[in-house]
Amino acid sequence: MVKKIKHKKNDLAVLADLSIGQKAKVVKLNTIDKALRRRLLDMGITEGVQIKVKRIAPLGDPYDIELRGYELCLRKKDLMLIDVEVM
Amino acid sequence: MKVALIGNQNSGKTTLFNLLTGNNQKIGNWPGVTIEKKEGRIRSTDFDIIDLPGVYSLTPYTIEEAITRNYLFEEDVDLILNILDSTNLERSLYLTTQLLELDIPVLVALNMSDIALQRGIKIDYKYLEEKLDTTLIPISALKKTGVFDLIQVIKQGSYRKNNYEHIYDHDLEKCLNTLEKELTHKHKRYIAIKLLEEDHAYDEYHQNGSKNLVNSLCENYQRDMEQVIVDERYRYIEFIRDEAIQSNKDHMTVTDKLDRIILNKYLAIPIFVLIMFTVYYLAAGPFGSMTVDFVDKYVSSFGVWMFDTLTNLGASEWSRSLVVDGIIAGAGAMLNFIPQLAILFLLISFLESTGYMSRIAFFLDRVFQKVGLSGKSLIPFIIGSGCSVPAIMSARTIHDETEKKMTIMLTPFVPCSAKLPIITLFAGYFFGDYSGIVSASLYFFAVIVIITSAFIMKQLLFRGKASSFILELPNYKLPHFGFMFKDVGDKVFAFIKQAGSIILLASIGVWFLLSFSFSLEYGVPADQSMLAQIGNVFSWVLYPFLGELSWEATVSAMQGLVAKEQVVASMAIIAGYSEEVSDGIFIFNSQAFSFFTPASAYAFMVFNLFSAPCFGAIGAMRRELGTTKRMWKAVFFQTGIAWVIATIVYQFLHIFEVVL
Repeated sequence: MVKKIKHKKNDLAVLADLSIGQKAKVVKLNTIDKALRRRLLDMGITEGVQIKVKRIAPLGDPYDIELRGYELCLRKKDLMLIDVEVM
Repeated sequence: MKVALIGNQNSGKTTLFNLLTGNNQKIGNWPGVTIEKKEGRIRSTDFDIIDLPGVYSLTPYTIEEAITRNYLFEEDVDLILNILDSTNLERSLYLTTQLLELDIPVLVALNMSDIALQRGIKIDYKYLEEKLDTTLIPISALKKTGVFDLIQVIKQGSYRKNNYEHIYDHDLEKCLNTLEKELTHKHKRYIAIKLLEEDHAYDEYHQNGSKNLVNSLCENYQRDMEQVIVDERYRYIEFIRDEAIQSNKDHMTVTDKLDRIILNKYLAIPIFVLIMFTVYYLAAGPFGSMTVDFVDKYVSSFGVWMFDTLTNLGASEWSRSLVVDGIIAGAGAMLNFIPQLAILFLLISFLESTGYMSRIAFFLDRVFQKVGLSGKSLIPFIIGSGCSVPAIMSARTIHDETEKKMTIMLTPFVPCSAKLPIITLFAGYFFGDYSGIVSASLYFFAVIVIITSAFIMKQLLFRGKASSFILELPNYKLPHFGFMFKDVGDKVFAFIKQAGSIILLASIGVWFLLSFSFSLEYGVPADQSMLAQIGNVFSWVLYPFLGELSWEATVSAMQGLVAKEQVVASMAIIAGYSEEVSDGIFIFNSQAFSFFTPASAYAFMVFNLFSAPCFGAIGAMRRELGTTKRMWKAVFFQTGIAWVIATIVYQFLHIFEVVL
C-alpha cells in the first residue's frame, strides 16, 4: 500500500488526500457527472469554502467532512475530483 | 388556503406538521423520512397544510425530492412555510434563497431555536428578517414553543408579503431582469435563473430573445453558469451569516463526543453488532418467545371457553367450528405475537429517531459498495425488519437507479415482523433451548443471502459504473417518547386491524375450503376437502425440502402471499380441525404436521422467509420498480432463491438426521 503523503500548508491537493483533522479550501470542482456536480454545489461545496476532514469510516471509505457548520459523507472517489489548497 | 411545509431533510418538518395538525405522522432522525406528501388541517383554522419530502435545493437529485419541486410548481400554493434548522442555518438558508424567488409568499420558522441557544449560537432575528424580507418565527417543534405564535401569524395572514431583495451581482441582476421581461409564466425570476443555468428541464420556457441573452452572458462569464449562481447565493448567505449569527466555534457538541465512541475506528462495528444483537434478542429471541407463550395461554383458554359457551347456547356444530376452529384458531393466533411485535417496533422506532441510522449507512457503506449497493440500502433493510412496505418505499432516497432497484428487490429478504410468528413457532417447538440461536441464525442467513444475491445481481443484471454517496450526518437527538409510543401504538393497531380483517377473512376462507368438498358437502374428512385437493396439485414443489408430500404445509406456505402471519394462522386451523376438539394450538402434535423434523422445519422457515413476500409488499415493489415485468422478475428471483436454499439446507441437514 502506498503511504499517504502528509500535506503541508498551502499545498495543492485533492480532498481525498487529506488526513483526519486537516482543513482545506476548495479550489476547483472537477466532477463530471452533471447531476452530482449540481448536488455537491447545492450542498455548499463551492469554490473558496473551508472543509475539514472529520473522520474516515472504519473500512477506509466514505469520508465524513465538515463544512458550513454541518457534516456530510461522501465516497473517496468523488473527493478525488475536488481540488483544494491545504490550510 | 393551501400551506406547503418545506425544509431540508431532517429539519423537523414532520414533527411540526404533527403539532400543527394534531396528527401523528411518522418521524425519524435520518434524512428522508417523509417520502410522500401528506395533507392535514391546521388546528382551529380551515387551512390545509401539506407535508412534503425534505429537499436541499429545488434542483432535485432523487425522486422524492422531485415530488416537492413539482408540487410547488403544479399546485396553487398560497403560502410556503419554510422550516429551518437553527443549528445549521448556513446550509438551510440556501433553500430559502430559492423559495423566495418563487411567486409564493414565504414564512420562515426557525426550528430548534432552543438547541441553538444551548450551543451558544446567537441569531439576530431582526436583521435576518430585514435581509430576507420575510417574517421569521423562532420555534422549537420538540418543546412546542413558538408554535402557537406561528399558527396565529398564518391565521391572521400577518406575515410580510416579501419583495425579495436582489442578491446577485450587478451584471447578473440586469440580465435576469431583462430575461424576466421576456417571460409570461408564473415564477418568472426562478425560471429566468433556470434558463441562465441552462437547466434543460426548463427549455420550453425559452422565448425568442431569451436564448441570445443567455448565450451572450455565458460568454462574458466564461464559467459554468450553474456554479456562478450557486456561488452568488452562498456568498450572500455568508454575508448574512457574518452579520446575524454569533457562535463560539470550537465548541465540542454532545454529538461529537458520542461519535468519538460510536464512530470510532475499532469500536463502530462491534457496537453495531451488539446493538443489532440486542434488538433481535429482545424481539425475536428468547425474550420475545417468552411473551408469546404468556399470551398464548390466554388465547387458548379463550378458545376453550368459547367452545363451551357456544355448546351451552345450543349452537350448531358447523357454526361452533367456524368460530373456534376458523376465527379463533386463525385470527386469534395472531394475538399471541402482539407483545413481541410491540418490542420490535419500539426498538426500531428508537433507532430511527436517535440519528444512529445515518451513521450505520456511513460506516458500512464500503461493504455494500463492494456488492453494488449503497450504505443507504441499510435503512430499508432495518425498517424491513418491521414491515417491507414502508421499507421498500424508503429506498426512494437512493439516487442511483441500479442501487435503488437492487435494494427494492432485496428488502423482502429481511425477516419482517409478520414472519416472526413463523420463526417463533418452528424454532420454539423444534429447537427448544436453542431457539434463540436458531432464530438469530435466520437473521444471519438473511444477511448472507442479501449480500450474495446482490453480488450475483451486480454481475448478471446490472453491470454498471460505481455510483456516488451523499449523506448528511444529523446530530444525535433524544427521541421524543410521546411520538415514539404513538408510532408503536399505530403499528400495533395496524397489525390488529390486519388480523381482524385480512387474516380473519382468509381464516374463514381456509376454514370453508377445509370443511367442504368440491361437491359442497360439509364435514368431509380433511384430506377430501377442497383445500386438500388444491394443496395436492402443488405439494410436489415443496417435496425437495420437506421430504414429504404435504398438502397441509403447501397450502399454508401459499397463503403467505396474503400475509406472512397467515402461514401460522392456516397451520393452526388445519391442525385444530383434524383434532376434532380445538384445545389450544398443538400444531405439531397434530396428524397433519407431525411429519416435520428439525431439518424440514428449518428448511420450511427458510423457504417462507425468502420466497415471494405478501401481496402488500409485492404491490409496493410494483410501484417502486415502475413496471409489472420487473415486479415479476423480482418475485421469481426471490422465490427461486428461496427454493434452492431451502432444498440445499434440507438435504444437508437431513444427512445428519439419518446418520445420527
